Amino acid sequence: MTAVLKPTLARCLWVAPAFAAIAILITVAARALVGMDPVLQESTLLTVAYIAGGIGFVVGIGGFDYWWTWMTGGELDPNDHSTHGAKSWRDYFKFNTDHKVIGIQYVVFTFIMFLVGGMFAMVFRSELARPAAQSLSPEQYNGLLSQHGVIMIFVFLVPVFAGIGNYVIPLMIGAADMAFPRLNALSFWLLPVAAFTLLTSFMFGSFDAGWTGYPTLSQQSGYGMTLYQLGVQLAGASSIATAVNFLVTIITMRAPGMTLFRMPLLVWANLATSALVVAATPFIAGAMFMAMFDREMGTHFFTIGGGGDTLVYQHIFWFYSHPAVYIMILPGFGIISEVIATHSRKPIFGYRAVAFSSAGIAILGFAVWAHHMFASGMQPWLRVPIMISTLLIAIPTGIKIFSWLGTLWGGVVRLTTANLFAVGFIFTFVIGGLSGVMVAVVPFDVSITNSYFIVAHFHYVLFGGSIMTVYAGFYHWYPKVTGRMYNELLGRWHFWITFVALNVTFFPMHYLGLLGMPRRVMDYDPQFAWMNTLISIAAFVLGASTLIFVYNMIHSARHGKLAGANPWAGLTLEWMLSSPPPTFNFPTTPRVIGGPYRYGEEGARHAIIPEAEPASVEKVGA
Amino acid sequence: MSSTAHQPAAPIQPYRTGLRPEIMGLIIFLVSELALFGAFFMYYANLRLLKAIDWPGGFHIPAEATSINTLVLVLSSFTCEFALLALYRRNKAGVFFGLLATFVLGTIFLGLQVYEYMTIGFTPQDGSIGAIFFSLTGLHGIHVFIGLVLLLLGMVRAVRGRWTRERHSGLLAISIYWHFVDIVWVVLFTVVYLLPSS
Repeated sequence: MTAVLKPTLARCLWVAPAFAAIAILITVAARALVGMDPVLQESTLLTVAYIAGGIGFVVGIGGFDYWWTWMTGGELDPNDHSTHGAKSWRDYFKFNTDHKVIGIQYVVFTFIMFLVGGMFAMVFRSELARPAAQSLSPEQYNGLLSQHGVIMIFVFLVPVFAGIGNYVIPLMIGAADMAFPRLNALSFWLLPVAAFTLLTSFMFGSFDAGWTGYPTLSQQSGYGMTLYQLGVQLAGASSIATAVNFLVTIITMRAPGMTLFRMPLLVWANLATSALVVAATPFIAGAMFMAMFDREMGTHFFTIGGGGDTLVYQHIFWFYSHPAVYIMILPGFGIISEVIATHSRKPIFGYRAVAFSSAGIAILGFAVWAHHMFASGMQPWLRVPIMISTLLIAIPTGIKIFSWLGTLWGGVVRLTTANLFAVGFIFTFVIGGLSGVMVAVVPFDVSITNSYFIVAHFHYVLFGGSIMTVYAGFYHWYPKVTGRMYNELLGRWHFWITFVALNVTFFPMHYLGLLGMPRRVMDYDPQFAWMNTLISIAAFVLGASTLIFVYNMIHSARHGKLAGANPWAGLTLEWMLSSPPPTFNFPTTPRVIGGPYRYGEEGARHAIIPEAEPASVEKVGA
Repeated sequence: MSSTAHQPAAPIQPYRTGLRPEIMGLIIFLVSELALFGAFFMYYANLRLLKAIDWPGGFHIPAEATSINTLVLVLSSFTCEFALLALYRRNKAGVFFGLLATFVLGTIFLGLQVYEYMTIGFTPQDGSIGAIFFSLTGLHGIHVFIGLVLLLLGMVRAVRGRWTRERHSGLLAISIYWHFVDIVWVVLFTVVYLLPSS
């Protein structure tokens, strides 16, 4: 009985509907009170219910319990760590403030969303295997296609890196936790709300304007479009909160001796990414607010008839969504630097250049948004400067690739699964990067815009880029997280099937695009038939390859051989702790005495953890 | 994924940045708030400056009445600061009444804005300029409302004696947030109400 009052999922079951009902009542009552029609549209009330229900869910899970007590001046025990750390699997379904628990929650939840989004791709790839319509209606096709994009971007790729960072970064910088553990938990629990909002849009006529949701097309979609706009905002709020947390953590909580240039490159990458998230994400919130007001309140931000301007949506949207591309790849770059240095036993080649290139990408990332709009009819003078800035951003990216190759060169390369994914990533990402340089050139872009060439390009950078780095990170830190080794043989099978299937799936799309096959259309010219059949078969193989991974991860967590503290002989701080690390990470504050990648030096150490002594450390934090 | 026994968390001493982590977090958050306002200001600038679209139907934007309202909000920043000063001088009643004065001024501001909404003569549905006027001022209004809730909670904590001269990051955060809302309003007032019609 008490379960429905304590902060649990059971409490969410009644708090969320209660919040939704109260919000509807307030809206209707307020409108009636000032003499307006109490119900403008049913869909507006549904929107209100979704927003309040989402807040109610977070309240129900316990996201505000502590703060509420604090703000109302109640008694709090600063030494109460009851919500910190997991003692059984049940604790993973609760509001937990331990960054390691939150990291696992993030990674598992987002990976499930990856499987869901992948399933959508499987469904519409089966439709695309033959020309003409077979099993899906055009609306269903468009809906599945849009869901695939949105789920993959907003509830998989962006948050999965927050998950990996959550687990690893406090360990890497020698901190006990993130700077704001409760905010950290809150930003995780916003994600299920976002995913719920996006996925339930199927019930109300799913959004079918692609993941970009451009008006005026989006104004004609069913009610699901509003839920898309809401879901994106929820996911955005979650990622802003995480980014604030990462920034403060990295700036203030590094162990003594860890100067900026002794930080592991993943920490650098997350610093740059978090700055991007904080400055860019509100823009998509702005665009989504305006588009939502158009749909639900009858405003005219983007309706042509009412004096609106559709092009401004695209500008504001891409002002976030292009930096978002770097939000989805920069932490991956960091992971690759960690994996390659550790598994090749060599110091990172050009550490400072790589660190600065992360910052360079973050800054330049704001100056390239309009290259998504070369064919949109925007001001023509904007094209060439944006083309130049887009070509420039290939330079810091090239620096990183050069650094990874230089690190591998002459190293003692151990082709563990983690390193296989890292090396495979370099191969596929370079293909995606090169086609990126091609589409940055205005005349070329204008001729292949909205074709499968674009689909090929961004799947090479997002699957061949981001997802490969996610896998590399999963395999690299799996022994640390679970304390057991994964099955190396299954890992290799997973890599090779993924790698081959990924290339067979996405490479022919370049060719289809050059021939003029348009994207986001369920039917196509019969001359493209055999190639689409090939792509679909390869896509199914790609989908099946994730099952090997899932089996490997689940089975090895129980039956893998014990990993010990440091199976990869890594030098960074997380490998100095037991696997999995203790609840509060370090027994004493570590001291950093050197760079993080001093591989190959005799007796080199990155940090030392002093013996426990009677601590007389000054109390900090409120 | 078990965890070892509960260990006392040795507080890791942060790098000395001169800022408490929670205040730094707030400031970073305000940067992102600024970007959110920036999205709306961008839309507004496109409309008023690039396309030279004016207020619907030649409506007169009530700059005079709203300038009084602006003064009310600016004044509330001072009363908010008074509350903090009172805390430094260990004047407990001063903290409460400073916050109360801020709360009252903020409520007056919000009430006058709502009155303006009802009397201004156009609606959010009147073209893109109507939409951006109501959403810019409305976005700010929501921030004022959140600020009022925070002030109220700050008063509750003041009554219960939870703010001390040594530990008051929360009160500092509330005041920084309130100043931010105030500054955004001054910018908004300047570009929305005082920008001459083209």
